[in-house]
Amino acid sequence: MAEEPAFTRVLKAAEVEPGTKKAVEVNGHSVLVCHSNDRLFAVSNICSHAQEKLECGRMSRGWIACPIHGARFELATGRAMNPPAKQPIATYPVRIVDEWIEVSVPPPG
Amino acid sequence: MAAELEERKALSKGEARCPAADSTQEIIAKDKVAAPGWVRSESYQFLGDEDISTDRYIDPKFAQEELDKLWTRTWQFACREEHIPEVGDYHVYDLGPYSFIITRVAKNEVRAYFNACMHRGTKLRASGTEGRASEFKCSFHGWSWNIDGTNKGIVCEWDFPHVDRKKLTLPEARVELLGGFVFINMDPDAPPLAQYIGADFKKHIDAWKLEDRYTYLHVAKRLPCNWKLAIEAFLEAYHVIITHPQVAVSNGDANSQYDVYGEHVNRFISPLGVLSPHLSGKYTEEDILAQFTLGDSGALGGEKRTLGEGATARQVMADMFRGMFEKATNSDLSGVSDSELLDCYSYTIFPNLYLFPGISLPMVYRFRPDPRDHRWCLYEVMFLRPVPKDGKRPEPAEVIRLRDDQSFKDAEGMDPGFGAILDQDTDNLFLQQEGLEASAKHGLTLGNYQEIRVRHFEKAWEKYLAMAPKRPDRERLPRR
Repeated sequence: MAEEPAFTRVLKAAEVEPGTKKAVEVNGHSVLVCHSNDRLFAVSNICSHAQEKLECGRMSRGWIACPIHGARFELATGRAMNPPAKQPIATYPVRIVDEWIEVSVPPPG
Repeated sequence: MAAELEERKALSKGEARCPAADSTQEIIAKDKVAAPGWVRSESYQFLGDEDISTDRYIDPKFAQEELDKLWTRTWQFACREEHIPEVGDYHVYDLGPYSFIITRVAKNEVRAYFNACMHRGTKLRASGTEGRASEFKCSFHGWSWNIDGTNKGIVCEWDFPHVDRKKLTLPEARVELLGGFVFINMDPDAPPLAQYIGADFKKHIDAWKLEDRYTYLHVAKRLPCNWKLAIEAFLEAYHVIITHPQVAVSNGDANSQYDVYGEHVNRFISPLGVLSPHLSGKYTEEDILAQFTLGDSGALGGEKRTLGEGATARQVMADMFRGMFEKATNSDLSGVSDSELLDCYSYTIFPNLYLFPGISLPMVYRFRPDPRDHRWCLYEVMFLRPVPKDGKRPEPAEVIRLRDDQSFKDAEGMDPGFGAILDQDTDNLFLQQEGLEASAKHGLTLGNYQEIRVRHFEKAWEKYLAMAPKRPDRERLPRR
């Protein structure tokens, strides 16, 4: 069984208030930490459709929408909810330890 | 002589009312907390008694004519303002082949862009989607628009010396905001919304403050019938005793009140907590209290219902509702009348919007034709609850899309009793569609009073269908 990548501390928990999101770089990946529907999610910040950044998109009710072409993704699973995207975006394990948000993102390559 | 006059009056068309039962107004007049003026008025009008031709429901040519004549001229509910709270937020609204990106461009300004790239026509946003745009960029060749509708850029502009980007702003439908609803109209010559709905009804909707509600449940389902049949299934309480026998015990159905307002708005008031005149003498006040069904009972919990000495079921329910809805929805209902807490007010704004401004039955319905098949339509029901007293507005509910074979009870958050009512209402519809196609009688026959809303609706339909086609034309639409 593949070992889960180590968790990396990225932000203080208080920095991502309910209904907000923040982009961070981890192991060369642009990761979006989202606080929606009373929980935290960590997903790829890059839209699977045309590689645009998702960080300025609207987040609501457990999804995020790409601000450029409008694809939406489920934060819990990364599933593409509507065109023009068909492919999912990556999702990453996320946890809070000692008031810090930690994400587990694979190493580069 | 006076008695004779009375008799003649009783025989005039449209004058007859359910005999031996209190009228809706008489029922409401006995309530402890008095109803406001918009409840305590009547506006019935006799509009004829000839049959309504049925080809409009079964011949696909009318579906196309509706798209060319009716939907391009009428005010339509596109989304709620709560769906686009921030500048840049958008919501895609479709009607048949037409599609609009409803976008908030400033705190108090919403626009409806025709959802098509001005290069080779690709939709700028997929149907059924929403989000926040930093730009509307076509996913085909990348022509792009700012959220204010001005053109942002053309890829390889050197190849388009014949295109003036200043003239490339996105065409818009007209937009008006009312009661938290975003209405659009594709017709640059249509009357303003206030004139379209009329001054009388404008006073009603202004009194309801529906902008202070939020959508806590939103369910969509395809129905196997023409969109007009679906609408007309909800325009009267005449069907209650047969279609919803479980409700009739606590619903004044045959003595409901029917009103019309101008050309585009009609309503009924169906009093609850009283026995159906059909069942007179067969049930007690205890029975009425026990069988009371309502749309938003999720707000109530399992409160015990008890009838005190000399009390009426209607008053007991009103008193109970006031406290329980206040608690459950964290809202202030002290100024709300018993009737507003209990009764079913159903208003139609032609062509396809229903508003139920009551507290226990707080729905919005919307019906849209299926552009590929005139024998199918899309039905939506939304429940609007008061925004909590602390002012924190919950996000509007995500749409739950039911499969064709699913019950409304399957929608999470739907009151099972109300889901059963919607199933009963909609399960007849394929039979009516098929029956109209099978029938040797080519007209609907309508009751003069209880089915006046059906006739009123069809009169408006006939008015628009008699007009010349009017497809949206970029040159005639407002553009910045």
